[in-house]
Amino acid sequence: MTAPASEAASRLIPLLATLMLVFQLLLVVQRMLITNIRLFALQSLALTAIAAVVAYAYGAWHVLVVAVLTLVGKVIFLPWLLTRLVRRIKIAQEVRPFVNMPASMLICGALTVLASVVARPFTSLERLGSNTLPVALTLLLTGFFLMLNRRKAITQVLALLTTENGVMLAAIALTTYGMPLVVEMAIFFDVVVGVMVLGLLVFRIRESFDSMDVSKLNELKW
Amino acid sequence: MLLTTILCVPLLVGLLCLVVRPRVLLEALNIAGFAILLVLGAALVRSVDAQPRGAVTEWNEFLRADALSAWMVLLIAVVSLATALYAVRYFRCDEASGALTARRVRDFYVLTPTFATGMLLVVLANNLGVMWAAVEVTALSSVLLVALYNHKTSLEAAWKYVMLGSLGLVLALFGTICAYAAAIHPGGGETMPSFNWSYLLGIAPQLNPQLITLAFIFVLVGYGTKAGLAPMHTWLPDAHSEAPSPTSAMLSGVSLKIAVYALLRFHILTTACLGTGFSRHLLLGFGLFSMVLAGPFILTQKNLKRMLAYSSLEHIGLICVAVGMNSPLTVFGALLHMGYHALAKPVLFFAAGNIHQHYHTLDFRRIGGGVGRTLPVTAVVLCLAAVAVSGLPPFGLFVSEILIVTGGFTSQQAWVSVVLLAALIGVFCGMLIKLSGLVLGPARAEHPRERMPVGHVVAMGLPLLALLVFSLWVPESLRLLLEQATNIIRGIP
Repeated sequence: MTAPASEAASRLIPLLATLMLVFQLLLVVQRMLITNIRLFALQSLALTAIAAVVAYAYGAWHVLVVAVLTLVGKVIFLPWLLTRLVRRIKIAQEVRPFVNMPASMLICGALTVLASVVARPFTSLERLGSNTLPVALTLLLTGFFLMLNRRKAITQVLALLTTENGVMLAAIALTTYGMPLVVEMAIFFDVVVGVMVLGLLVFRIRESFDSMDVSKLNELKW
Repeated sequence: MLLTTILCVPLLVGLLCLVVRPRVLLEALNIAGFAILLVLGAALVRSVDAQPRGAVTEWNEFLRADALSAWMVLLIAVVSLATALYAVRYFRCDEASGALTARRVRDFYVLTPTFATGMLLVVLANNLGVMWAAVEVTALSSVLLVALYNHKTSLEAAWKYVMLGSLGLVLALFGTICAYAAAIHPGGGETMPSFNWSYLLGIAPQLNPQLITLAFIFVLVGYGTKAGLAPMHTWLPDAHSEAPSPTSAMLSGVSLKIAVYALLRFHILTTACLGTGFSRHLLLGFGLFSMVLAGPFILTQKNLKRMLAYSSLEHIGLICVAVGMNSPLTVFGALLHMGYHALAKPVLFFAAGNIHQHYHTLDFRRIGGGVGRTLPVTAVVLCLAAVAVSGLPPFGLFVSEILIVTGGFTSQQAWVSVVLLAALIGVFCGMLIKLSGLVLGPARAEHPRERMPVGHVVAMGLPLLALLVFSLWVPESLRLLLEQATNIIRGIP
């Protein structure tokens, strides 16, 4: 690691993390389904860039593998898969959340503040990306909010994926190098297979219910 | 190569079932695979007992089995084998009545070994990150099993299960990452430490206590969701009641305990790092809450399999409470209870499966009683298994529950034992009321008497017989294994 490279990296990483947060907030207010999927792809691209910066600044090649996996999986393959699913089941494009947009925005603002308070004790860890931990926690919390606030099965899947992005950012924030390669590969594999399983379920739900509104899934009680 | 073989056998069975066509062959492959697994599990118990340091490792410590893992391998093998035996007639009936297509039945025979492989990897992986990934594999394979019937309700159950499960697993992943971060040198360090559980335990006093505390909280909520601890249990009755009965048996008999196992690994680590009762008190609290919650839900339940699911909630709670009490008696009792429950609970789900196939409903009011006359064999098996699960002698759950309750009294935690007893009695009353209403009474004319081949009766009753045998006689090697596992959980080297 050379000093200037590390200097540039320690500025680039928070910038890219902030970009991830911006995409997340856009996801909260964006109404069109396809745009939602593209925003998720962009957010994953920012995550890829962070991993690439870490790999370059530290010469840690296994992080580069992680970056490539994220690029192939979350920027290209999963958005393609979800877009295809949306086209195939011909659902209405508009997302109808339970809470309206301004209120959602306020709630997400509050969650961001909460995340920075919670993350404060841990940002003093001397690691390259430790100042991105508040962003990672915000992604996690707003992702949960998104899941609660969406009716359509696919948008819930997207929300789940953004929380996963948050956790992967946290991995970089807390450990710099991320996890050992075998763990990263296992997580990657699980996420891809997981979305495929979810897609299959969405497809079957759409066939049986003629709808993707998960608030209609309310027959089982107690 | 024992551990590798244990992992490969069910995986191979799953892959073979992908290409094999005839149903008889699918059934035979599953049964043979799980029988081999059981033999390998017994061999593992032997070799763990023989190890001076108490752990068998392979692939440069990537796979590691200590007494606790070996015990879980045994449970997985037993429940899978019992399920495979019962599944034969269950799915033949379903296929004959048109409830399932041949393709879906094959899905079952492919996914069940995959599910088992995932669980085996959870207990054999030394790396905590790989363990997380394996838990996710079990979740994904079991979701497809829950949705097997493709009814509206089963899809709803599967969706709730996968959404809550994935949410829980995201939290568990965050906790797992925190645990890894705790091992990195405070200065940032240039090297990456190993993420092996055994390594982390060795350096436990040097781990960052703040991060470990955070890790345990996230992991508790995360794996606690998968284990069905209240209040994260809401997916559990849905998934257990909508899944085909063999899958319900797997979910309840062993998959919940696998999540508890993952939780236990973090509990051991946290206690070793902090040196306080932080994690065990949390386990105690969540466990007690689950137990107390289960009673009222069983008393007011309208659906047989949902009632059984709440009984599982109670037993998982009991296991967590017993571990949380942390006396030698209670922890030993908890491990014993896991085993006995794994033998008894599947039988209840098997009997419920027969009732479901005969009456085409699980609603107590729509069945309306008289099961004892219409389905005499099923009713007898159901009642015996219910007696066992309620913790009545001569079945082993009586012994394990007595151990746990006594352990509470002898370790100055009498109030926990009192609450435990009250909850157990509440659940017992609930089961008694519901099942007597179901089994007793005159037969209803519109339902013909069951005709059950002897083979199926044996397949259903076999776990119960095993339970009775192992209630009266615990082999020396198993006792040694459980004592070792007790010491591992209590952090005694």
